[in-house]
Amino acid sequence: MKSEVKKIHVSCGHDCGGACVFFAHVNDGVVRRVETDEGEEPQLRGCARGWAYRCKVYSPERLKYPMKRVGRRGEGKFEPISWDEALDTIAKELKRIRDNYGPSAILYDGRGGNRGQLHGSMSGLRFLNMFGGCTTLWGGPSAEGNVFASRVTYGTLSTSNTRDSLPYAKYIIVWGANPAVSIFGTNTTYYLTQAREKGIEIDVIDPYCSETAAYVGTRWIPIKPETDTALALAMAYVILTENLQDRAFLDRYTVGFDKFRDYITGKEDGVPKTPAWASDITSVPTETITEIARRYATSKPASFFIGFGAGRTSYGEQWHRAVSVLACMTGNVGKLGGDAAGFGRGPVGAMIGPAIPIPPNPVEKGVSLRGGLDIKLRNSIRVHYSYMWDCILKGRAGGYPTDAKMVWVVASDPITQHPNSNKGHEALQKPEFVAVSDIFMTPTARYADILLPVTTPWEKNDLIRPWCFGPYYLYLHKAVEPMYNAKSDYEVFKELCPRIGIPVEQFTENRTESEWLRHIYGISEDMKAEGVDFDKLEKQGYYKMPISKPLLAFEKEISDPENHQFRTPSGKIEIYSQQLADLNNPELPPIPKYIECPEGPNSPLAAKYPLQFISRQAKNRSHSNFYNIPILHEIEPQRILMHTSDAKDRRIKDGDMVRVFNDRGVVLIPVRLTERVMPGVVILGAGAWFTPDEQGRDKGGCANTLTPERVSPGGSFAINSCLVQIEKE
Amino acid sequence: MQMAFYFDQTRCTGCYTCYIACKEWHDIPAHSVQWLRIQETESGKYPDVFMSCTVSPCYHCVNPSCAEVCPTGCIAKRSQDGIVVVDREECLGKEACGQCLGACPYGAIQFRNKPDAKMEKCDFCLERLEEGRQPACVSSCPVRALDSGDIGELKVKYGKYGVVKTGPGLTYDKKNRPAFVIGVKYANSSYKRV
Repeated sequence: MKSEVKKIHVSCGHDCGGACVFFAHVNDGVVRRVETDEGEEPQLRGCARGWAYRCKVYSPERLKYPMKRVGRRGEGKFEPISWDEALDTIAKELKRIRDNYGPSAILYDGRGGNRGQLHGSMSGLRFLNMFGGCTTLWGGPSAEGNVFASRVTYGTLSTSNTRDSLPYAKYIIVWGANPAVSIFGTNTTYYLTQAREKGIEIDVIDPYCSETAAYVGTRWIPIKPETDTALALAMAYVILTENLQDRAFLDRYTVGFDKFRDYITGKEDGVPKTPAWASDITSVPTETITEIARRYATSKPASFFIGFGAGRTSYGEQWHRAVSVLACMTGNVGKLGGDAAGFGRGPVGAMIGPAIPIPPNPVEKGVSLRGGLDIKLRNSIRVHYSYMWDCILKGRAGGYPTDAKMVWVVASDPITQHPNSNKGHEALQKPEFVAVSDIFMTPTARYADILLPVTTPWEKNDLIRPWCFGPYYLYLHKAVEPMYNAKSDYEVFKELCPRIGIPVEQFTENRTESEWLRHIYGISEDMKAEGVDFDKLEKQGYYKMPISKPLLAFEKEISDPENHQFRTPSGKIEIYSQQLADLNNPELPPIPKYIECPEGPNSPLAAKYPLQFISRQAKNRSHSNFYNIPILHEIEPQRILMHTSDAKDRRIKDGDMVRVFNDRGVVLIPVRLTERVMPGVVILGAGAWFTPDEQGRDKGGCANTLTPERVSPGGSFAINSCLVQIEKE
Repeated sequence: MQMAFYFDQTRCTGCYTCYIACKEWHDIPAHSVQWLRIQETESGKYPDVFMSCTVSPCYHCVNPSCAEVCPTGCIAKRSQDGIVVVDREECLGKEACGQCLGACPYGAIQFRNKPDAKMEKCDFCLERLEEGRQPACVSSCPVRALDSGDIGELKVKYGKYGVVKTGPGLTYDKKNRPAFVIGVKYANSSYKRV
C-alpha cells in the first residue's frame, strides 16, 4: 500500500533578500518532490534555486560525519571521527585559547549562508558570549556602503515602500541592481514587470546589460564601473540649473541642501558638475544624462530602484548618499510610487531581528556599535570582513583588535566570499585552531582542523523572514530528520555547553525548538506589533499580512513632520551631515561628492591591468550556495563575460580558456564574448568556489581570487574597484 | 478541446525556474533529458542589445509528426484534450527506432543516454492536470509568463497576443500545427498592456 504523502512547509534559508514558500512532499521520511506557493495572492513563488533545494538536501556531497584534518590545511584530507571526539576537541581548544590568550583570540565568522532566526550562526554568538566572548567581524560584503549612507541620510535602513508600490511610479530607474537574478525580495521582478506593462519606462543603469536590463527594463544605460556618483551629481546639476527641484520638500524635510548646491554648481571647488563633466567620467552621453535627470524630476512620482553593486566600490557610500539627495530634490521620499533611494528595507515584515537572544559580548566591554557611524571605533573592536585575512596574519601589531589564535566559521565561506582568496589560503595556515561548521566541503571547510556536518533548514523547525521586503513571515517545519550524522548549529552549541562548563539550561532556557520560536516571536520588535497571528503562522507555515494597499516608508515623517522626526541627529533628512563633518575625514565628506577610485581606469595600474573587473550575482547561486549542485550548472555555466572588441586585440575567441589575472591571483576560465558588457569591462558571476591548482591558479571561477581587500571609508567592500588583464591560455 | 501552452516572451527573464521546476517535478537527474528547453537569443551591437528567451515544452501539436512516424503507435494524441502522450512500454527505443526524434521540429523528443532508453517528453503534467492544477512550469513562473489551457480560450484570454505565431527562437510549423500561443517580444516594442 502506498503510504501517505504529507506536504510540509519549507523554505531555503539563503541570503537573497527573499524568502519564498515551498512545500516538500514527504513520503516514508523522504522528500519526493517540492512545489511552490499556489495559494492565496500575493503568491510567494520561489526561483530555480529554491526548486533545486531537494538536490542540495540529498546531495551526495553532504558532509556525513564530523571529521578531523589529516593533510595540510586547504588540502582537503580528513578522517571521520565521532561527535564526542569532535566536540571534546573543540571544547578543549576553546578553553585553552581563552585561558592562554583571552577570549578575544577567538575569531568568530558566523554568517547568513544557512539562515534561521533560531538556528544558524547566531546561536553560536549566544554560546560564545556566554563562554566569555569572542572577536566578531563586521561589514556585509553586499551592502555596507548603502547601510552607512542610509544611516547618515535617513537614520534608518527602512526607507522603501512595499514592492507593490512600484507600479504606481511614472518612471523608474533601476541602478546597480539586478533583481531578476539577485531576487532582492520575493516578487520584486514581478512588480517591476507590472509597472512596465502599465507603460512606465524603466531605465537600467549598469555596466552590464543585466537580466533586469535585457528582460525587465525598457532601456539599458551602460556606465563605467565606479563612476556612478558622477552621474548622480550631474543629474542634480540638471535638476538644479533647470529649477526642477521641489523646494518646499527640501526646506521642510532636509538640512544642508545649500552646501550640496554649492558643490554641484562649482562654487565650492570651481568644478561645476555638469553633464559634460560627468560624461567624460562615466561614458554616459551628455544628452542621456540631461534626459534622465529631467524625466526623473518631472515624472511625479518617480522611483529609483537601488541595488548594492555600484556601492561596492572604493567610495561606494558617496553614490548611495547622492541618489538619496536626488530623491529628496524631487520630493519622492515617502510617496506612493516614489522611493527614498536609501537602504531599501520595507516598512514592515522585513528582518529587523530578533533572533535567539544574544547576551552582550564581554570582549566588546559594553561599547555599543549599533547604528554607529564611527568606523574607527568599530574597527577598534571588531574586524572588517574584508580585513579578516590581514587581521589573522598581522594581529594587534597590524592595528587589529585581536591576535586570532582560533577561527570558527559557521554558515560562511570566507575563502570564496571575502576578497583575495589567495591571501585567505595563507592566513588560514596561521591560527592554532580552525573549526568549520557546514553542509558541504566548501573551499573554507578544507582548512578546518575539526569539521562539523550541520543540517539544512529542511531538517529543523525555524522562523525566517525576508531581510528586505515583506510583508510576510515564514515558519519552516522540519520535513525530514537530520541527514546522516548532521546536527543543527543550535544543537552543536548546546552540546558544547556542558563540555566547557556552561549549564545547558542557561543556553536552552529549558525551551524546546517550538517553544523558542514562540518566544522569539514574543520578544520581537515588530511581529507582535504588526499583528502577526503566530498560531496561524505556525500552522500553515506562512503568514501574509493582510494589506489592501502598498505600505509607505516615512509616511508619518512626511505627513506629520511636527510630531514625527527622522531618526537623524537633526531630525531631518541629512543632505549635509554634521556627524560626518565631525569625523573630519576628507574621504567621508559631509555632503556626497565624487572621489576618483584608486584602482580604476585612470589609475597608473591600468597600464598593466587595463580591464575593469566586476562581479555580479549568478542566476544559479545564492552567493556561494548551490555551486556544487549539478542541476543548476545546466542553466548558467561559469564564464567570464567580455566585450567582442576587447577580445579582438587579444586574439580571443568565444569559448576560449583565458587567464584572468592581476597581482592578487589568476583565474582560469572560459570566456563568453558578448555585446552585453561595456567595452573595457569584464564580468564574472560571484560565489563560484575557489579551486586552486598546484600553481595556485583558481579553476573554479572564483571572483575573489582577483578582488582587492580595500574597504571604502564607510565600510563597503570595494570589490568592484578592481583591475585585471586577460590573456588567452 | 486542445490543451496548449501560452508563453509571454515579453515577461520571461530567462530565470530557468520553469526549467528546474519541470526537472524536479518529474525527478529528472542533472545533465539528462530536458522535457522543457530554453533558448536565449542575443542580437544587436553594444549598447543596442536585444535579448529574448523562448521556453519550449512539448507543444502537443494538432498533427504531431512524432505520432505519425512511430511504428508501434506508442505515441498517441488524446482525443479528450489533444495532449500527446507516450506509452513507454511499447516504445522500441532510440537505437532500435528513434524515428520520432527526427520528426519533431521543436526538439521535444528526449532519450536518456543509455542503450535501452525509451522516448520521453513533456506530458503536460497529467497528474497535476487531473488534480485541476496547472503544469509545474506554469505554476512556478515568478513573473507569470506561462499559462495553459484550451487553445481557443487562451487566444481569447490573451487577445492580440494570442494570434502571433512566430517570434525570436520560435517558428510556427504549418504541418505539425503546434498548440501554443505566444506573446512575442520585438526589438523596440512597447510593452504597454492596459
